[in-house]
Amino acid sequence: MNIIEVEHLTKDYGSGRGVFDVSFNVQKGEVFGFLGPNGAGKSTTIRHLMGFSKPDSGDTKIFGKDTFLKYNEILGKVGYIPGEIALPQGLTGWEFIRMIQDLTHIHNEEQLNKMLKLFELDDITLKGETKRMSLGVKRKLAVVTAFMSDPDVLILDEPTSGLDPVMQEVFINFIKEEKEKGKTILLSSHIFSEVDATCDRIAIIKDGKIVSQFVANDLKHATTKFYKIDFAKDKDYKDFLTKYSNNKALKILNKDDKDSWVFISTEDKDINKVISILSPYEIKEFTNKKESLEDYFMKFYKEDKEFGGV
Amino acid sequence: MEDKSTNVDPIVIEHLTKDYGEGRGIFDFNFTIKKGEMMGFVGTNGSGKTTTIRSIMGFIKPTSGHAYVNGKEAYEHASENTKHIGYVPGEIGFPDLKTGTNFLKSQAEFLGLKDMSYANELIKKLQLDPRANLKRMSKGMKQKTALVSSLINNPDILLFDEPTTGLDPLMRLAFMDIIKEEHKKGKTILMSSHMFNEMEDTCDRVALINNGHIIDIVDMKDIRNRPVKDFKIEFNKKEDYEKFKKLDYKIIRDQVEYNQVTVELKKEDTSKLFNDLKNYDVKFFSEVKYTLEKYFKEILLKKENKNV
Repeated sequence: MNIIEVEHLTKDYGSGRGVFDVSFNVQKGEVFGFLGPNGAGKSTTIRHLMGFSKPDSGDTKIFGKDTFLKYNEILGKVGYIPGEIALPQGLTGWEFIRMIQDLTHIHNEEQLNKMLKLFELDDITLKGETKRMSLGVKRKLAVVTAFMSDPDVLILDEPTSGLDPVMQEVFINFIKEEKEKGKTILLSSHIFSEVDATCDRIAIIKDGKIVSQFVANDLKHATTKFYKIDFAKDKDYKDFLTKYSNNKALKILNKDDKDSWVFISTEDKDINKVISILSPYEIKEFTNKKESLEDYFMKFYKEDKEFGGV
Repeated sequence: MEDKSTNVDPIVIEHLTKDYGEGRGIFDFNFTIKKGEMMGFVGTNGSGKTTTIRSIMGFIKPTSGHAYVNGKEAYEHASENTKHIGYVPGEIGFPDLKTGTNFLKSQAEFLGLKDMSYANELIKKLQLDPRANLKRMSKGMKQKTALVSSLINNPDILLFDEPTTGLDPLMRLAFMDIIKEEHKKGKTILMSSHMFNEMEDTCDRVALINNGHIIDIVDMKDIRNRPVKDFKIEFNKKEDYEKFKKLDYKIIRDQVEYNQVTVELKKEDTSKLFNDLKNYDVKFFSEVKYTLEKYFKEILLKKENKNV
């Protein structure tokens, strides 16, 4: 069942900015990764899903309801973390929490306390004014308020940016638990490890258009491995090159005559052969480089723009 | 007595304390950043990174202790020191001006700067459109504008408070390249970040801050040139796994369910390991990198154990 639907969404801000004919859907119990460079249209799409903005054409639905027209009916069921946190002025942390509870008409104290504990926000911090809070603490407050009503749908716009590594880990584990409970999650992120750890499907947006959409597992089980081998002796390095430049078990992708290293790729099934090949040599360093989500994405991120100076 | 501006370290922190009450703040910080050195700050949210950086900027009056910039007390000489410091704050608030161009020009004017060529070079590198409306700029554009503004007059000291948070990976690389170049030019740099790999690539030393205290300052050379290495090995067959475990290797992690071990060995023993493994059916073999993150986790763990 599709919980989140984006159909032919277009919003044209002029000068090529905006989103153009964007379509995807997220099913119940699924974590959908939404990736792309800064300014590609992730937040614009997400803000339409939250009903903050009216599409030029196409539509966005949650639970089958148009998010712009039926904003009020959806609000209480959706937890949202915005990309940039702007908290209202002159409120304490507690006052902010109570205000959001009143707005959504959901007062789930058990869930609230669970979240406060999980994300380590204590009473002293919450008694302070939000404007005196550090960026990281504001982020935590946004996370807690998004989840305190225990919503069925989570829309998360770069939720962990600015969180420390400990909190990032807590966050990832929390997302995994929510997924197991059957929550539907849309996650935009620049942090590949967190996308890797949580997402079932991934879409990449660039210049306002979806350029790729695929199942995350297809990428995770790549059987090709990459290794860098530093030889201790130049004569070993040369011997290796003479003997194995044309070998079925490994492919030499790069080499450095000065520092005597090679960069090779090999299939998992050939690893035993590679070990045998390397065993007579004196090896200074042996490192593997994963073919990661990051390598895959970087090519989508690359672009060249120039705008003149000041 | 106070003016010791010749031949002094650019940043000297002595027993610096800012007590906000309820255990918040920073307590008895001591460190020196030498000319041309780049120091990193890591720590959990709210641990005191920003408070320290703001103290060096002279925005905060210490409860006790001192922060010196070029030998001058930071709080008392704040306005004078500004011209020598490039600063990118963690939360960027621009003045009420229309465009990025307006802002950068006003900064140049304030600093008495006429030559905008370096600013334009950076703008090009960052692919920044400075004509954009300041208020409507995305997070990434704001960061770029702030970075250009901090470097506009080629200052000797650079303070960066989480400069890459919220940036996409490509922009992150562009930022780090610029910071690395400034480091090469001999600038004195203090940078906070949550990305350990950024620190590993760039910093000379990294300080770990936790709950307002400096827990450790590590020389990156010690992390990079560690004399031992860890390797993870997974075997296809259980009997190979059992047999390998009987060899004389230091096993630091053992995962029976996967026929998997992680061994620690001296760098020069790598070849010996290859020779031994020749006789086994290996499914997976990989070095487990020793990282700054791992190092700090070990330190925090040791500290926790002591407290129990």
